[in-house]
Amino acid sequence: MSIVGMNNAERIEAACSFLLQSPPGEINDVLNDVRNIISDDDSLHEGVLPALKEYNLSQFMTVDVPGTQHQSIISEAARVAATGGGQERFVDPRSKTSFLFDHLSLEASDSEPVEADADSEPFRAALEKSTLTYLSAHFHDGVASIFASKDRTNQYIIQVVANKYNPANYWAGRWRSEYTIDLSENTIHGKVLVNVHYYEQGNVQLSTTHTVSLALPAAVVTSSPAASASKIIALIEDEEGKYQTSLNDTYQEMGEKTFKGLRRALPLTRQKIDWDKVLGYKLGAELSSSKGGMFGNT
Amino acid sequence: MADLVDSMLDLMRRLPPTRTEENVTALIGICPEYADDLLGSVDQPLKLRTDRATGREYLACDYNRDGESYRSPWSNEYDPPLDDGTIPTPKLRKLEIAANEAFDTYREMYFEGGASSVYLWDLDDGGFAGVVLLKKTMTPTTAHEPSGSWDSIHVFETAERGRQAHYKLTSTVMLQLVTRKGSDEAEEKGNGNGSKWKHEGEVSLSGSMTRQTEQDWPILDSSSHITNTGRMIEEMEIKMRNLLQEVYFGKTRDIVYDLRSVDDLEKARRQRELQKELVGFIKR
Repeated sequence: MSIVGMNNAERIEAACSFLLQSPPGEINDVLNDVRNIISDDDSLHEGVLPALKEYNLSQFMTVDVPGTQHQSIISEAARVAATGGGQERFVDPRSKTSFLFDHLSLEASDSEPVEADADSEPFRAALEKSTLTYLSAHFHDGVASIFASKDRTNQYIIQVVANKYNPANYWAGRWRSEYTIDLSENTIHGKVLVNVHYYEQGNVQLSTTHTVSLALPAAVVTSSPAASASKIIALIEDEEGKYQTSLNDTYQEMGEKTFKGLRRALPLTRQKIDWDKVLGYKLGAELSSSKGGMFGNT
Repeated sequence: MADLVDSMLDLMRRLPPTRTEENVTALIGICPEYADDLLGSVDQPLKLRTDRATGREYLACDYNRDGESYRSPWSNEYDPPLDDGTIPTPKLRKLEIAANEAFDTYREMYFEGGASSVYLWDLDDGGFAGVVLLKKTMTPTTAHEPSGSWDSIHVFETAERGRQAHYKLTSTVMLQLVTRKGSDEAEEKGNGNGSKWKHEGEVSLSGSMTRQTEQDWPILDSSSHITNTGRMIEEMEIKMRNLLQEVYFGKTRDIVYDLRSVDDLEKARRQRELQKELVGFIKR
């Protein structure tokens, strides 16, 4: 095969692509492999930092919030752009603090208080309260963060992530949900993403995407923040429950139709193949004439 | 630097199976000197090609590749043509022809479509080795019908010991299933609040599993190698189909339910506490 090796920039680009494809909870394993393969730590370290950051933000990496008993989500919604030569920070609206985040060690530091926006905080806090109740009702190890949008007034973002890593049994899973609630347009736009990796003597991955949108009934929007937030979360709870149930139907459909259609469990005869018959007299006779050669038995 | 190949294989075991080809190409670009190691040990989806001489479809993989050309099991010709392409000895080719016919029947009985190819080659120690390839693809006729593909790669080695032959079989099955859903599917229903969610999405289950076995079988003549490997491969595919069914439709589903519960976990917790209290009350 004619193979042209990559230059340094292309190698780093390939390394970044590998990192961004990491299954849940395996970013360090992928990074170790990539370090071994590239074997140039200096240029790698510098080169893959943007990819690590992109991975953490898009995968809703969770972090222990300093000085609290809870975790928050690292995401674009949580990002506070650096100003005046300072460093980029991430905000946890629940504790009303912001912190620096190390994209390699996944640790937060240098926590400091932030002031919540007086206009949006009542509804944001109400959404947070309802979301946390929903979280403990339906997620085994879930983390949620609720933000007032940085870009638009009257817009709120709910993010939920649940991870289970079980490397001893070769599997890992991640559920991500994100909903943007716009109270000016009375809409919810959301997406649910599920990733599962099963890798005992193999590599099997489930990857689902589910995007949803809903026009909010006027009654929901005009209620008090607490009543309105609780109705919105009830709608989300209902939709996510239905989605999870519909996944079962999809599984069944793929098992019944596609899997069976690709390969039968047994031939139409309901019996395993009679190989002597398959080989046939003609073929058998033809091959027997070559007896005594390299395949001969005497 | 065996270490390096291990890292590449570990990486391939983690990255999405849907992007295997792209990732193998990238790894070869990073380490061109390991191209053969990588191509020889990472199973990639089989490519369907058409034999120019017979018009029959055959499967291309690393085992029938010589340079940039692939050999067809039907005409024994390389495409693009090669003057000095590696071909089996006449005796082995005779067995290869018979094996291709036999596994073509096997393919029809189990896959009811698709394509199969068998390639054999001599080993230095006097025995021979081969690969049996099977592939079937289902293409949806509408956007929301599920699609899928099954690729089997069975590599075996055999050595004759008197009236017995010893077989080593390594089987890999690559299975990919994709379903797209949208709310134009008439499943859009009200939820009591008069509000309707619009939704669309995709579910993709993809991957590969590998298993090995070693067995001894009696041989009468050279054709016994076909019946022996036939039985072993049939048995192995039945086992692997069950395993794939368990992992694809059982295991990955269970993991989703380990992340999120349809039932209210708080209610269940309260129920358990109430039960505990009741048990305590009765004991008193």
